[in-house]
This record gives sequence, structure tokens and C-alpha cells, in this order.
Amino acid sequence: MAAAEPFDVIIVGSGAGGGMSAYHLTRSGLKVLMLEAGRNYDPVTETPMFNINAEAPLRGVGTPDKPFGFYDATVDGGWQVPNEPYTVAEGSEPFTWWRPRMLGGRTNHWGRISLRFGPLDFKPRSRDGLGDDWPITYDDLAPWYDKTEKLIGVSGAAPPRNLTNTPDSPDGCLMKSAPPRAFELFYARAFDAMGIPVVPMHGAVVTEKMEGRNTCLFATPCGRGCSIGANFQSTTVLIPPAMATKNLTVVTNALVYQVDLDKGGKAKGVSYVDRVTGEHHSVTAQAVVLAAGSGETARILLNSKSTAFPNGLCNTHGMVGRYLMDSVGLGVDGQFPALEGLPPTNDDGQGTQHTYVPWWGYDKHKELGFPRGYHIEINGGRRMPSMGLSGLLPEDETSVGDDLRGKLRQRFGSTIGFDGRGEMIPNDDCYCELDPTVKDKWGIPVLRFHWKWGDHETRQAAHMVQTFLEVIDRLGGKPLGKVETDGRKAISKGGEMIHEVGTVRMGASDADSVVNQYGQTWAVPNLFVTDGAVLVSSPDKNPTLSILALAWRSSDHLATLAKQGAL
Amino acid sequence: MSEEAPYVRKIDRRTALTWIGVVGAATAVGAGVVVYGPKIGGEPEAKGYGTDPKLAKPEKAPWPRLLSDEELQAASVLSDFILPASGGAPAASALGIPDFIDEWVSAPYPDQLKDRPLIRDGLKALAKKSTAERTAAMTALRTSGDAFFKRFRHLTIGAYYTTEEGFKDIGYIGNIAREVDEGPSEAVKAALDVQLKKLGL
Repeated sequence: MAAAEPFDVIIVGSGAGGGMSAYHLTRSGLKVLMLEAGRNYDPVTETPMFNINAEAPLRGVGTPDKPFGFYDATVDGGWQVPNEPYTVAEGSEPFTWWRPRMLGGRTNHWGRISLRFGPLDFKPRSRDGLGDDWPITYDDLAPWYDKTEKLIGVSGAAPPRNLTNTPDSPDGCLMKSAPPRAFELFYARAFDAMGIPVVPMHGAVVTEKMEGRNTCLFATPCGRGCSIGANFQSTTVLIPPAMATKNLTVVTNALVYQVDLDKGGKAKGVSYVDRVTGEHHSVTAQAVVLAAGSGETARILLNSKSTAFPNGLCNTHGMVGRYLMDSVGLGVDGQFPALEGLPPTNDDGQGTQHTYVPWWGYDKHKELGFPRGYHIEINGGRRMPSMGLSGLLPEDETSVGDDLRGKLRQRFGSTIGFDGRGEMIPNDDCYCELDPTVKDKWGIPVLRFHWKWGDHETRQAAHMVQTFLEVIDRLGGKPLGKVETDGRKAISKGGEMIHEVGTVRMGASDADSVVNQYGQTWAVPNLFVTDGAVLVSSPDKNPTLSILALAWRSSDHLATLAKQGAL
Repeated sequence: MSEEAPYVRKIDRRTALTWIGVVGAATAVGAGVVVYGPKIGGEPEAKGYGTDPKLAKPEKAPWPRLLSDEELQAASVLSDFILPASGGAPAASALGIPDFIDEWVSAPYPDQLKDRPLIRDGLKALAKKSTAERTAAMTALRTSGDAFFKRFRHLTIGAYYTTEEGFKDIGYIGNIAREVDEGPSEAVKAALDVQLKKLGL
């Protein structure tokens, strides 16, 4: 245990926000202690590259122990974490909270979709009066997007298209995506006919030669993690170079529950419980960075009570835990006779989709009847068969023998899944707070969530379904299974998209926010937040790339303050 | 089906020894062959593989298997009715699908616990039929859209096609390291174009 060493900065969390903070601060010469609630994790030796489902228990299907399937990279986590409950308030709509307990956090298994927020995404209130404006513009963050893309390795290079609110990256930021697969060429024609552009996906996958990195093998799913570090995860791209500076100390199984203050009201360190031994520790540093994930970061602040902050640290105005957002999500699958019987081809690809559909309706919101849009993530092709394979067949079909073999061969690769991911506008009914009675195994109060989708979101969800049904129809296909067209019933659960953000949002003043544009808390100048908690809006674009860029920008500010002796 | 080969469990010795430890009544009688008695009733559900299993080299599912030899034999006959050997493709039983069915229905997780009575009752009923009656019985299950048959067939298809042999049969040619992904071949694009023209796209 390195607690006796003098640390400049303590970072709580090791995922996108914590990993990036550690990367920049250690390389700026600061001594950093990183505290991770989960166990150490080594992607090089632990990743099940190329394993087939027949080698896994139950052919790899999801179970309560491994909800996203046996081979999913997540360790000791999922919708529930043993000994670490959370609650959902009575009368709330469902909310579900995905947590891993491993070094690198969710970056080990995430979808690698890396879309920049656009200029409109930073100014939602100015745009249409809904939500709130960020204290920064797209131009403020753009240089950090550039740096982040170059560091983590992102595919999706394409000639500039100048699509509304869908930024083109400057030359040199992105690598070329792998070519569209047959199903991607196929669906693009339907969108073309509807006047909707299909463009290369931006994916955090190294698809070309890149200094210091391995190139993708165009096989084996990214969600398992990557033993050769060809995609982005904190444990392969951020933590190793931070370790190489010899300025980083990592302590695992350290569940931080409190920020400790000195007499002057500044942060002096944090307290944590060792999840294995149950022992409590306190560690000190010149500054503290919280990057435990939007929920856990809010929980730490709310549990840090003192005379000055009886309702939780930085919570004088009751804003910690507020403005909790997720993405709107739902999917419809279709089966397409036109894709039946194509010659066998290797559709494994680069892990992310090779192309996608950015939101196209920025100038149509009045007629559409909902204010914000969604992008479409589309999966298909002749992918490695899973236990769900018989879903290829019509429901009433009961053939056996050569008849069955022939039908499966014919229809293999003929299904496509359309998934929408849309913007949610923050509302007063979505927030988290401390549960008044429930505590975790170590006696620490847990979060209680409140959730209610607004009409903006449910109408958007209904539009997703109609769009997908139209595309399926244009392609001569039929939807698989029963399709729910009522947006309120079809929409995902709160938290289900695992894009929960916004509990400690940034702003222009302490009257309407908890942190400033650099993630520095208004109340405690040497306390920073660098995870998704600081997001002011939750655009349709998946948040990880923006969390990384913001964390880098905030860490740079922190490092500058440290050099000036201003912490 | 007039001749019916007895199904032999296709498990490894390590798992066999684990079962001996867990079940107590089991006896190893040779490489890969285990004969064991019925589960002693009343004990709680076994544990699953936990939230942190080894992923790169998975261990066999740790829970004791529940199917009797008769049920397993019925599973063998029925899985081979669904997927008999064909050309170079092996029969379901040759790929150990009955063992998988046993692993599945014995698992302590909610989805599998839900399948357990449906599958076991179906197998028990089938096991009671004489060898001569079974083909007719299975055909009747198939044509009547029987729930047990449909679920068993779903499990058999999934289990079969998640093996290397299944990949070969269905035409899955991925899961190999490549230096570049060149995308679909000209032949694939040409075939696709024909279809797109038909759709007017």
C-alpha cells in the first residue's frame, strides 16, 4: 500500500474519465494515485480472443452472472453487483444501472462507437429552449476531440460531408474503416431512396498501421476486450503509458465512499473501503479527481457530509444527482429474402459497424412532433452463430433433417437489426439521491433512482419504430417477432443504454451547476470531476469519446493549476 | 428408427471427477464415460459459474447434471431426429448435443430453470415409448407444434451450430485473423446487385 507516499492527485476510477486523467496528469509530471473499486484486470491474458461459443458454459448465453454473455469482458458486474445494491423509488419508471468491478471499468467491453457531439449539442437551450446550454462550445472541445481521436485510434475517415451537427474530423484524425459488408451495401440503398445519408461509422478500432499499436485482426468481438490492444480500452491505451512514467500508483478493490476536507474547506483526500478485506483507509493528495461513473461519483459527493455541506459535498443548491440522463434506445430486427443464399463471405469485420446513419431530421422537428433526433446503428451479416440461431426461421416452422439444414444455410446472414440511439432532454423526474435506509455491505448509503421518460423521448422512440419498419419494407423484408409501435412501451428502460450521464453537470455559475467548464467543483477548488457526470446534455452520440476529450481538457487545466501552485 | 445406439456421455475426465465429488454416487468407469446415479432429492440449487469466471480458458459448467440415462438417451434420439448425419455433417449426438441439453436443463439460472420441467417432462415421456414407437411419436410432436419439441429443437439448433462442425455446415467462415478486411467479393456484390434491381433499389 502506497498511502504513505506524497501524491499530487488522487483519481477515483480507471475508465474513460479516470484513465484519461491519469494518462495526462502522470505525463505532466504529477504523482498520481488511482483508486479502482474492482479487481486488477489484464486484457493481454484474460481476453477470450477467438473462443467459440461451444467452449463456454451454456454456449455463452447471458445469465445473471454474465448478463451480456459469458465472453463479455465485464468482471464482477452487470445490472447488479454483489454486495452493492441500489434502489429505484416507488412510483418511478424502471431504472437499471450497469457497473463493472474491474480496472478500466466499462471501457473494456464498450461498443467503441466514437461520435463527436456537434455544435448544436452544446447549445440546446439556445436552439429551442429545451435543456440547458453548456458553458463551452463545440469549438472549445474540437482540439481535444482531435487529440483524443489521434491517441485512441478511431476509424471512419471520409471526405468532409458537412452534415448538420455531425462534425467531420480534420485530416489525420481518423483511419479508414473496413469496407461496407454486403448487408451494409444493401441497407444503404433503402436510406438512399429515402434521401438519408449513410456514412462510415467512427469506431475506436485501429484499422491501419499506427505507431505503437497493433492493427485490428478483423475478427473476434470487441465486447470481449482485445488482448492485442487494437481497440480502445483504458487498460491497453491509457493506463500502460501512465504506468510507464513511473508516476502512477494503482490500488484496486478500493471502493471510495467519501471525499475528505481539511479545515480550510479544501479536499485533502478520500476514504475507501477495501472490498476484499473490509478495511477502511484514508489517503491524501493535493487534489482529487472523481471519475467513478456518473452514479458512483454523485454517490461519493452525497455521502461526503460535513458541517459545511450537511446534504453532501458541492450540494448546497441540491444539484448533485439531478439532470440524470440516458440515451433513448430501441431495436427492430428484420429478415430479408434478398440476402438469402449469398455466397459465403467473412463478415466478422472490425468490431464496430462499418457504416451508420446519423440523424437526418434537424430541419424537420416541427413537423415530426419531437425536438431531438437519433442515429441508427445497424448490425447484420454472416456472423458467428449463437444460441439464438433458430430465430432466423419463421416462428411456426418445424422442419428437421436436410430440410432444416437447408433452410438455415439459406437464411444465414439474412437478418439485420436496426437500433436507434437518441437524445434525451433532462427532466425533473430523472435523478438519483441517497436511499434513506438501504446500505451496502460496508454500511455506506446506496443510490435511489427516480426515472420518467418525457413525451419528447417516447415520441422519438415511436418514430424510430416507424423508420425501421419503412426501411425493412423497402428492402423487401419482414420484421422478426412482434413489433411494439407505442413509443412509451417500446422505449428502453432508464439506464439500459448504459449512457447514464449528467448528475454533476458543468455550467457557467454555481447557481445552475456543480462544476465549471473544466470539471472543477465550484465549492471545492481542488476537487474535479472528469466522468460523464459533467455532461449538460445527452446527445444521440454515444458519450465515451466526449468524456475522454473533456477529461483531457480538464486534466490539462488541473495540471496547469498544479504547475502554478494554484491548487 | 429400428436400431438405436446407446448414447455415451462426451465429457472430459476432469468434469467427471468434479461430478464424483459433487454428486457422490458417480463412478468413473473409463476415459470419458461416466455412469452415475440420480441426484439425491431436496438439496438446494447448485451454484452458477459466478461473476468472474475464467474467460480465455473456460472451465466446464460446474453444476451437477440432472438427466437420467433414460432421459439422456431420449435426448440423443430426438436431437438426431432433428439433425441426423448428412453428407459430411455429423449427427447431433456425435457432437455431444445431449450432454449440452443436460448442462442446460441442470443449470441454476432463471431461463434454464424455466426450461427444465418442459424439457425433462418431454424427454421422460419420449423415454417411455418403445424404440419402435419413437419415430412416430417424434413426428407427431413435430407436426402438432408441441411446445417441448419447439424448445428442444431451438436448443439443438443453437448447440449444434455453435460448434466448428456447425460453422462448416452453415457456411460461417470467420473467426480467423486477417491482415486486412477486403470486404465482400465481386461475386457477392454481383449477387446482391441482382437482388437490389429486383427491389427497384
